[in-house]
Amino acid sequence: MPACVWCNRDIPQVVTLDQILSWGPFPVQEVCQACRERLTPITGSCCSRCGRQQRAATICHDCERWRDAVINRALFQYDAGFKAYMQQYKFQGDYALRVVVQATLARALQRATYDVLVPIPVDVATWQSRGFNQVTGWLTGQPFFQALEVVADHKERPQSAKTRAERLVTPQPFSLAPNACKVLQHQRVLLLDDVYTTGRTIRHAIDQINLSGAKAVTSLTLAR
Amino acid sequence: MDNDEQFFGRWVPSARPPLKPLVNREAIAQSRGAARCTRCGNWLTVTDQLPNGARYCRQCLQLGRLTTHHKLYTIPEPNQFPRMTESPLTWSGQLKPQQVVAATAVRKLAAAKKNQLLWAVTGAGKTEILYPALAWALQQGWRVAWASPRVDVCLELAPRLARAFAGVSQAVLHGKQEQPYTYRQLTICTTHQLLRFQAAFDWLIVDEVDAFPLTTSPMLQRAVKQAQKPSGSHIFLTATPGPHLQKLVAQRKIAVTYVPLRYHGYLLPQMMVHLSWQWRQHLLKGRLPGHLVRQLRGYQQIGQRFLLFVPHVADLAPIAAALAQAGVVGGVTVHAADPERTAKVQAMRDERCQFLVTTTILERGVTFPNVAVVILGGDEAVFSTAALVQIAGRAGRHAAHPRGEVTCYCQSQSRTIQQARAMIGHLNRQGRQQGGQ
Ligand SMILES: [Zn+2]
Ligand SMILES: [Zn+2]
Ligand SMILES: [Zn+2]
Repeated sequence: MPACVWCNRDIPQVVTLDQILSWGPFPVQEVCQACRERLTPITGSCCSRCGRQQRAATICHDCERWRDAVINRALFQYDAGFKAYMQQYKFQGDYALRVVVQATLARALQRATYDVLVPIPVDVATWQSRGFNQVTGWLTGQPFFQALEVVADHKERPQSAKTRAERLVTPQPFSLAPNACKVLQHQRVLLLDDVYTTGRTIRHAIDQINLSGAKAVTSLTLAR
Repeated sequence: MDNDEQFFGRWVPSARPPLKPLVNREAIAQSRGAARCTRCGNWLTVTDQLPNGARYCRQCLQLGRLTTHHKLYTIPEPNQFPRMTESPLTWSGQLKPQQVVAATAVRKLAAAKKNQLLWAVTGAGKTEILYPALAWALQQGWRVAWASPRVDVCLELAPRLARAFAGVSQAVLHGKQEQPYTYRQLTICTTHQLLRFQAAFDWLIVDEVDAFPLTTSPMLQRAVKQAQKPSGSHIFLTATPGPHLQKLVAQRKIAVTYVPLRYHGYLLPQMMVHLSWQWRQHLLKGRLPGHLVRQLRGYQQIGQRFLLFVPHVADLAPIAAALAQAGVVGGVTVHAADPERTAKVQAMRDERCQFLVTTTILERGVTFPNVAVVILGGDEAVFSTAALVQIAGRAGRHAAHPRGEVTCYCQSQSRTIQQARAMIGHLNRQGRQQGGQ
């Protein structure tokens, strides 16, 4: 019996009659039911700007303060469950946990309208010590273009260690990759990041993409 | 250099070599495509690979991720502790006579550097029994660790040991610890934390060995073996040793000290067994076994209070209803997640309540004076051998009421029931030799 990649408990594999009759390989469950339920999907109404879960599709308080028209959508609520997930996946560096949200992300990307997918990059030092980019780790073969680079001497303290006020004044951390303008010209760009918290990072990314001649920029984050 | 202390008897991972040349090894040993974590012994799978080319161990991730880019560095344990001229024991309590016997035996075995088992029934006061041996070990300048599989046990133990050994520096290590590591003569830690150590401890105390799968977890076996100095020894503490430890005892591969008597000096009540064919089917019709009902009515007539243990939370309501139907009243049901749990247990303590119907969850740490114990469905999987012995130990837990009846109703005499009875019998034989009654 395969074990759940997150909690390591055995997963009883349920095979339906349809699967038996289809003669194809049975899909193997990698994450158990209980672990999947630790993450709360955003469903129904959300803020029409940042995508946070709320009762009505109005503009939330945080977005009103931004006074811009950034459009972000998110897949999961940034709650204790998602934080625990990120703690193990991103901060402890358990790359195997990328599968936990891959299927949900793949479905969302299929539904989204865009021409070029641009993941938020990590700086070189982080990539070397963590060993992976937590955002591209979630992709399962969807084509993407690394249009952004992290400015060399940018990283002094991790975003997560800063207060909201500190994050809001963070200087532009990104620059455009050398061939970005050629690739993004007149294209609809979808930015992909892990968590939307203050919205500062995604706006820095949007500002840079807008310099490339892209036709439109929207963003998708795993959590809000 | 003060910084050296963190390497004493420990494996410290680093992706960059330290300034001084130290004994080191690869964090992940690789040969011919196979890779194994040298900290926890886990064999890596091919999928434990990072995009930067490194491979990493998932099994001991909670202690900080190790990859093929890391080396582990260590300095052999130098026992750099202040010399003590007198015993560091500052505990003012008194051991009971049978505790003194056990404490002396433990100290002698520790001094002889023999691996040993302290098999003490619940309520025997095993922590205090270790004090004389621990005081002796610390005075020799030994480095000692007290490891428990459970964080809450560590958290409860640390202040007790801090008071009992006021002059001895201690470090408390567990997954939720925010304080950085410090080099101390006495380490109180979870068993997992032992994986970080290398030939560090002259004496290693492993508490509640029955509560973690020492026999089924090669990782924890390795942790104990690795953390202990080759010249050192260990002591396992348990109330209910599993089959593996019992076998080692029978084969005389581990020295054992029994504390078969509870602090009031009485034997454990032996469990009486009653077969109740298809009691679950009868319960569906709202009926309990006739013998059980007669027994409980009998208890009520003489004012004997009791605990009725049942397998599952879902069993509580139908059994309570069937009891009421049979005229057995004046008690309440309680389970681990019950919001009124504390109040209900307190009512039982205050004798405002005649009985509790409860699940196996209350087995540890709950004491009531003068109660009889009844188990319904004692052959079901939730009741392990250890749990049954612990439950039996709930009966008559008071010096004024040392004896108590323990009755187990079951469909069949399961292995667990037979083993529990055998274990109680074994402990009581030891207890009689020590003058128990
Ligand atoms: Zn799981
Ligand atoms: Zn919003
Ligand atoms: Zn490991």
